[in-house]
Amino acid sequence: MAAVIEFQHVTKIYQRMFSEEKLAALSDVSFEMAPGQVCAFLGPNGAGKTTSISMLMGFFFPTSGDIRVFGKPPGDLAAKEQIGFLPENFAFHKFLTAPKLLRFHLQLAGRNPASSGNLIPELLHKVKLNGYENLKIGKYSRGMVQRIGIAQALLCDPKLIVLDEPTSGLDPAGRREVLHLLAQLKADGKTIFLSSHILPEVEQIADHVIIINRGKMVRSGSLRDLLASGGQVEIIADRVPDELRQSAVVETVPQGVRLLVEPARKRETVEALWAAGCDVIAMTPQRNTLEDLFLKEVDQPGGGA
Amino acid sequence: MIKVRAIALNTFSSLLRNKIIILFCAGCLCVLLLMLASLLTLRNMRGTQNAEMMQMAVLPLIASMMSIVSGFGSLLAAWSAADAVAGEMRSGTVLAVLARPVRRWEFLLGKFLGVQLMMFVFVLLMLGLNYLLAWIGGASIQTAPWVLIVYPMVRYMLYSALGILLVTVMHPILAFCITLVMMIAAGLVAPGNPETFIPNWLRTGLFYILPSSNLLSESRFLTITRATLRAALWTDHATALIYGVDYALVCFVLAAWIFRSRSLSRD
Repeated sequence: MAAVIEFQHVTKIYQRMFSEEKLAALSDVSFEMAPGQVCAFLGPNGAGKTTSISMLMGFFFPTSGDIRVFGKPPGDLAAKEQIGFLPENFAFHKFLTAPKLLRFHLQLAGRNPASSGNLIPELLHKVKLNGYENLKIGKYSRGMVQRIGIAQALLCDPKLIVLDEPTSGLDPAGRREVLHLLAQLKADGKTIFLSSHILPEVEQIADHVIIINRGKMVRSGSLRDLLASGGQVEIIADRVPDELRQSAVVETVPQGVRLLVEPARKRETVEALWAAGCDVIAMTPQRNTLEDLFLKEVDQPGGGA
Repeated sequence: MIKVRAIALNTFSSLLRNKIIILFCAGCLCVLLLMLASLLTLRNMRGTQNAEMMQMAVLPLIASMMSIVSGFGSLLAAWSAADAVAGEMRSGTVLAVLARPVRRWEFLLGKFLGVQLMMFVFVLLMLGLNYLLAWIGGASIQTAPWVLIVYPMVRYMLYSALGILLVTVMHPILAFCITLVMMIAAGLVAPGNPETFIPNWLRTGLFYILPSSNLLSESRFLTITRATLRAALWTDHATALIYGVDYALVCFVLAAWIFRSRSLSRD
C-alpha cells in the first residue's frame, strides 16, 4: 500500500540573509507513514517538529531531500484536498463567527456552502461548539479556539489529518474529548499525524511513533514494539543474596526486596534466588511508557546531535 | 474562482475593521472638515463681496481638496494591500488558508481584489465628495463621471500591486514608506515639473521606472468650469489606463513569483 507521507533524507538548514551563520533544523530525516496509521511525532521544544510539519504542508521548502504526500510534492492541490490541518496555536479571523469561518474554509476548499447541508451544524456539535454560533471567535476562550480549529481540520472529510499540538490549551475534559474524537477518526480509517507534548494521551491512540531531537530522528517504529523493547522484569523476593546485588537493580520495599532485571535474565535470576533459599513473592514484566521512552531518548547525552 | 472570491470578501471585511485604516481615514476626514470650513466661509463671503475674486479662491481650494483625497487614496491602497498580506502572516491565519487547496497566487489575487473592492467604495465616496464640494463652491464638474472612477481605480490598482510586491520581501511599514518615497519621487521627476536638484540622467531614469501618478491622475481631466474644460481623445485615455494596468500587472506577477517560494510562518 502506497505511503501517505514519505520523508526521504530531508534536511532543512536556516540561514539568515547576509550571514554565514547556519542552523540545521532538520538533518537527514527519513520515515514513511502508511494509510490508516496514527503517527505521533514527538520531540522536545526546538526539535524540528513544527519545521517538519510546515514542510509537509508546503509552507517551508527542504534544503535537500524529498517529501511526498499521497505520492505528490507538498503544496500540490490534489494532495491538499485530502488533508485536514490544525496548526499550532491555530489563528483565525477574529471578526468571524464559527459558522462563517467554516463556510469560508468550505469555499477555500472549492465547495459551495449552500450545498453543504447540515455539515457545519454537525461539525459544531461534534466539537461541542453548538450554542455559540453567534459569538465572534475573537471572544472565544483558548479551548474553544482549539475546538473550532479541529472542526475546520475535519471540514472536508480529509483522508489525512495533520494536527500540531491538538490538545494545547484544553482543560482535562476537553483533552479527553479530543482524544475520543481522534479515536473515532482512527476507527473510521483516517490517517492521523500528530505532534503533542502530552505523552500519556498520545500513547492511548498512536500506533506508530517518531521521536526527533535536535533535528535528527532518534527513534521510529510501532508503539507496541518500542514499548516492549527495553522493558524490565520486576521480581519481589523476601531477601537477596549478595552476589545478585551487583547484577540487578535492588531496592527495599514493604514486601521485601525489589529487583529489576532484563527480560533475558529473569529465569537465571529467579533460579539464583531459589538456589540461595530466597522466596520469590512476585514476578511482573514492567512495561515501558511512552514518556519513559521519550525521556530516555531525549535525555541521552548528545542525543540526536 | 470561488476561492479567490472568498478571500477577496474576507479581506474586504477585514480591512473595514482594520484600526490603522480607520485611524487613517479619520485623520483624512478631519483635514477635509477643516478645509470644508474655510470653503463654507469663502462661499458665504462670495455672496456679500466681490464675487469674481471669491470664485478664484473657491476653485483652487476645491481642486486641492480633491487632490488631497485622491492622493491619500493611493497611500491607502498601498498600505491596505501591504497590511492585508502582512496581517495574515503576522496572525498566522495564512497557514490555515494555504493549508486548503489554494494556490499562493490565488491567495494574493484574493487579497488584491479585496483591496480593490475597498478602494472602489472609497472612489464612490470620493466622487460624491467631489460633487458635494463643487455644489458648495457654486460650481459644476464638467468631466465625465467614468474618468473620476476609472482613473483613480487604475492608480489604486497600481499602488496596491506595488504594496503587495514590496510586502512579499519586507515589513509592511517599510513597504509603505518606500511607496510613499516612490510617489513623491514620481511627482518630482514628472515632465512639466520645474527643474529640481535631481540630475537629468537620474530624472529620466526615475521617470521610466517609477509609476507615473500624474499620468494616472484624474485631476488632469477634472475641471470645474466649462471655460477650462480640457478634452482628451479616447486614445489618450486608453494609453494612460493601459500603462497603469500594465504596471500593476508587472508588480503583481513579480509579487506572485516571489511569494511562491517564500517560507510561510507566523511572523
